[in-house]
Amino acid sequence: MKASLLLIGLLSAGVAMASPPAPKQEGIESKDYKWNAQAGEKVEALTKKGDKKRGEEGYETCGACHLPSGAGRPDGTFPQLAGQHTTVLIKQMADIRAGLRDNPTMYPFAATLTDAQELADVAAYIESLCIPADHGHYDSKPGDAGKDWKAPTDTEKRLAEGKALYEKECLECHGKNGEGVKDKFYPVIAGQHYKYLLRQMTEIRDGHRRNANPDMVKIIKKYSNDQLISISAYQSSLVMPGNMCKPKAGAAKKK
Amino acid sequence: MKFVMTLIAAAVVASPAIAALDGAALYKDKTCNACHGPKGDKPLMPSYPKVAGQNAAYIEAQMKDIKSGARNNGQTAAMKGVMHLVNDEEIKAIAEHLSKLK
Repeated sequence: MKASLLLIGLLSAGVAMASPPAPKQEGIESKDYKWNAQAGEKVEALTKKGDKKRGEEGYETCGACHLPSGAGRPDGTFPQLAGQHTTVLIKQMADIRAGLRDNPTMYPFAATLTDAQELADVAAYIESLCIPADHGHYDSKPGDAGKDWKAPTDTEKRLAEGKALYEKECLECHGKNGEGVKDKFYPVIAGQHYKYLLRQMTEIRDGHRRNANPDMVKIIKKYSNDQLISISAYQSSLVMPGNMCKPKAGAAKKK
Repeated sequence: MKFVMTLIAAAVVASPAIAALDGAALYKDKTCNACHGPKGDKPLMPSYPKVAGQNAAYIEAQMKDIKSGARNNGQTAAMKGVMHLVNDEEIKAIAEHLSKLK
C-alpha cells in the first residue's frame, strides 16, 4: 500500500513537473542524417504566402531579444535577422521547433508560434525590415567594456587573412558580398555580428550545431580557432546591396 | 587649486559609473522581460517563475548560481544563454528592481 502510494506520488510529481521539453530529432551526429530534408512543417511554411501584417504580431515575441528592428545584439548573443533570406529564417525556426537545432533559450519562443502559416508570416515581416547600418565587428567596443578597453591592433591583418581564407572556400556558397543563396537555404552572412558568426562557425565545426550542412562541416573541420577569428572578422566587414536603413537624422552631425 | 578640486568632486558625483544602476532599464535591456514578462509577473512558460516581488537576496543568489553553473537544474538552460550579459552589480540592481514590483 505504502509502495503504491509512493508510486502514485512519484507519477503525479512527474506530470506536474513536466514542462514542454524541446523535442530531439537526430541530426548530424546520425549517419542517416540528410541535410535540409524536404519534410514537415518547413516545407509547408515555404509554400505558404507570408502575411507581413500578421507577421508583425507574431514577431512581437521575437523582438524582445532580436529587437523590434531585427538588429539582434552587437555582442552576438542574438543574431541580426533583418536582411536574412526568408528560406533561411523558416528553416532555422522549423529546425529549432523540431529539435534539430538545439537552442534552449529560443526554443520556448519558437514554440509559441502556432503553425506553418505563422512561420511564413513572421519570415515575411522580417524580410520587410530595413537592414541596420551597423552591427558588431571584430574591433567593436564591447558594451560592457571598461575604461581601459583598447581596440585590437591587428584588425587589418585579420581582415586580410580572413579575406584570403573566405575567398578560398566560403565564397562559393556564401557569395562575394556574403549574400548567401536564397533558394539553397545558404544564409546571408553580411551584416551579421562578428561574435555570432564566430560562435556559429565554431559550433558547426565541432558538431554542436546539429542541423549543419555536412558539406560545410567537411570544409570547416580543418580550420583552427585562430583562423575562424580571422574569417569571422572578414565576414562581419561584408556589406551586401540591400534595403539599408536610412541613417537617423542628426547621426551625421556627430562626426 | 580649490577650484580644480571642486571640479573633480563635481565630476565624480555626476559620473554615471557611480550613480546607482537602473534596474528597470537593465531588466529590459538584458532581455529578462522576454521570458519573465515586462513586469515580472507574466512568464512566457508556466514553468518559468514569476519574479515580481521576490526577495532581492534570493533573486540575486539564483542569478549568480545560474550564471556560474552552480545551479543547472529545471529551466536554467534557457536562462544560462543570456547570463553573460550581466555582471554582479547589474544582477544586484535587477534583483532590487524586481523585489519592489508587485
